[in-house]
Amino acid sequence: MEVNYLKKFAKWSLILVSLSAILLFSMSVATAIGPMAIPFDKALKIILHQIPFMDNFIPVQWEGLEESVIVQLRLPRVLSAVVVGVALSIAGVAFQCLFRNPMADPYVLGVASGAGFGAALAMVLRLGFSFFGAVYAIPLMASIGAISTVFLVYGIAKTGTELPILRLLLAGIAVSSFFSALISVMMTFAGEDLHAVYMWLLGGFSLSKWEYIYIATPTVIIGFIILYAFARDFNIILLGEEQAKQLGVEVEKVKKTVLMVASIVTAVAVSISGIIGFIGLIVPHIMRILVGPDHRILLPSSALTGASILVLCDTVARNIIRPLTLPTGIITTMLGCPFFIYLLKKTGKIRI
Amino acid sequence: MVILKVCGVDCYYGSVKVLEDVSFSVDSGELVGLLGPNGSGKTTLLRAISRTLKPKVGTVLLNEADIFNMKSSDVAKNLAVVPQSSSLEFDFTALDLVLMGRHPHMRRFEREDQTDLEIAKEAMLLTNTWHLAEKPINELSGGERQLVMIARALAQKPKVLLLDEPTSHLDINNQIGIMDLLKKICLEKGIATLAVFHDFNLASRYCDSAILLHKGKIFAMGRVDEILTEENIRKVFNVEVMVRRHSITNSLYVVPLSSLQTPLQETPSSRNLKIHVICGGGTGIPLIKLLYRNGYYLTAGVLNLLDSDYEECQMLKIPTVSEAPFSPITNENHERNLNMIDQADVVILSNVCFGNGNLKNLDAALYAVEKGKKVVVVDETPIQQRDFTKGKAEKLYGKLKNGAIIVRNSYETLSVLKILENELRP
Repeated sequence: MEVNYLKKFAKWSLILVSLSAILLFSMSVATAIGPMAIPFDKALKIILHQIPFMDNFIPVQWEGLEESVIVQLRLPRVLSAVVVGVALSIAGVAFQCLFRNPMADPYVLGVASGAGFGAALAMVLRLGFSFFGAVYAIPLMASIGAISTVFLVYGIAKTGTELPILRLLLAGIAVSSFFSALISVMMTFAGEDLHAVYMWLLGGFSLSKWEYIYIATPTVIIGFIILYAFARDFNIILLGEEQAKQLGVEVEKVKKTVLMVASIVTAVAVSISGIIGFIGLIVPHIMRILVGPDHRILLPSSALTGASILVLCDTVARNIIRPLTLPTGIITTMLGCPFFIYLLKKTGKIRI
Repeated sequence: MVILKVCGVDCYYGSVKVLEDVSFSVDSGELVGLLGPNGSGKTTLLRAISRTLKPKVGTVLLNEADIFNMKSSDVAKNLAVVPQSSSLEFDFTALDLVLMGRHPHMRRFEREDQTDLEIAKEAMLLTNTWHLAEKPINELSGGERQLVMIARALAQKPKVLLLDEPTSHLDINNQIGIMDLLKKICLEKGIATLAVFHDFNLASRYCDSAILLHKGKIFAMGRVDEILTEENIRKVFNVEVMVRRHSITNSLYVVPLSSLQTPLQETPSSRNLKIHVICGGGTGIPLIKLLYRNGYYLTAGVLNLLDSDYEECQMLKIPTVSEAPFSPITNENHERNLNMIDQADVVILSNVCFGNGNLKNLDAALYAVEKGKKVVVVDETPIQQRDFTKGKAEKLYGKLKNGAIIVRNSYETLSVLKILENELRP
């Protein structure tokens, strides 16, 4: 029988090129659409003009206001959505695989509640606003909240040198609920800050700054590379930890590294965007249906697709009831839920 | 050449000791069966050998190196495990799964190349699964899946192969297929194979040697026919079995005797009737089984040693007057038989053939009639066809029929006995 297995790798490359093209297209559309209508080609030129050395080839045929709307307002927002979309999707893939549970998402270890608690604390107590400025205080506190939650959950779940998955899951639920309760307490006493805290928890990109992107992008890229290095191990871990050990996978090491990396990547995403739901849960499922279960394609294709979807959702959030901007987290959930239900009905079963 | 050596291994789950002082070694190309009841530590032993469970005491040496000092990928290059039937609920194809066996040989970020593919193909051709290569694993049958798992293990290019109940849940055709395959792997590839079996017959037919585990310790170890004895099985599994050598395969086969059908020898007979059975040549077996199960107190005679009826009586521990193999009944044994008849309430004559050697048994039946005993004659085949004494037996049989109760088969015997029982012991 003739089997051309290696053809598969060429197919993967094609998938990734197509998804990258879709992402670039989504980003261009997203920067063009807004209260100030800027033609699509003009938006693209303005973006390309920002890239060093490219500016020599593109003549300036736009007004200064158009450039500053694109560069100062829309581009940071779109790029934030890309980074967050990538982060949540790859963390979702990693968590679903390690937990061998289709319900797992990036927030399963309580990262979201921890970050929310940190951010709320920063807002209500106006911590360090004078020292760092609010621009940094909120993401910083959110990251601290997220990372300490993860360590707390690890500490609770750990038995000896092992990190049993079920204990992690339960510890995550418990710690997460506890921080949610603390957030509620703070919201009760938040007074005039209640609205800000509430909007942050719903998740969105209204506060996006270039500074965030400079910090988040390298973290997410490194995170992606580390996770991708374990792609084959992920495939084997799906067989169960015992079989994975017998196939030479150092399961405990992989688990610790991957959970830590995925948590940090999630923490970075949450600290700049708040709690955006559903992306990390459904993107891996959609991609599993479209490209199959092999993590060597699942991981990069989820990253690209997650980014595209979040950019498009954010564009909807900005423009659906102008001049108001809805929190992006509401749109991802409102569009994501029906789509997920459709998938569930159509495919019958959801696998990991 | 010894490839796997287990030295004094103790394993614990928490504070519960599940393996104690287990030591053995396996040579290249050897197929070793791991036998023992549920909970005797078989799977635990496989886990310890495959570096999944660290023993508290003792070492496992793979090619003279302690596996717990080796990198897990180095262990996986030399030792492969086929787990107990596993549920695989995802969309990988059979080939994907087999290629996972190449994982320990690959570096990070490396993709499978032509060589890996060739190795996977060879493994799948050997296990006869190549035609399934592009099928999703969850669409395969249990037998196909097990073969694919073996192919995956072979793709690791191991020197030692461990299998946990490779034939459970499979039909007989697949069982034989897998066992033939394992034997072939051992012989052709020189892979040392250690497999857990629950089927003694498969184990004895295929294994070079076996290890019998009992409560976490090695109870017996060695050639299969040395350790698969009725006594060992009774002690370890707490079940009565019969171990015989099969005339065609020349391997041992084990027949379990249900504990319902074989009361222990001390069990008092539930009925008061004492019955003496005259039989031979296997005609007594169904009768004796039936009466034994119904709780009658039985004696038998005269039977030649090696006669299957004699063996049945021995197995059920029925007092029997026996004669040397293929020899005519001596006067001395005839007397002993008559003594037994004196003790009995009822004498039953089975549908036995008569030759000059056992004609005395017919005399014994007549003696019983004369003594006023109730005599039941099972008359299935006309006596003319059973008489090899040129009419002597037929004449005596005719005489006997006048004073005896004639029945057609063993079951009629039972109904007659029930009536007699009421008559004799109101």
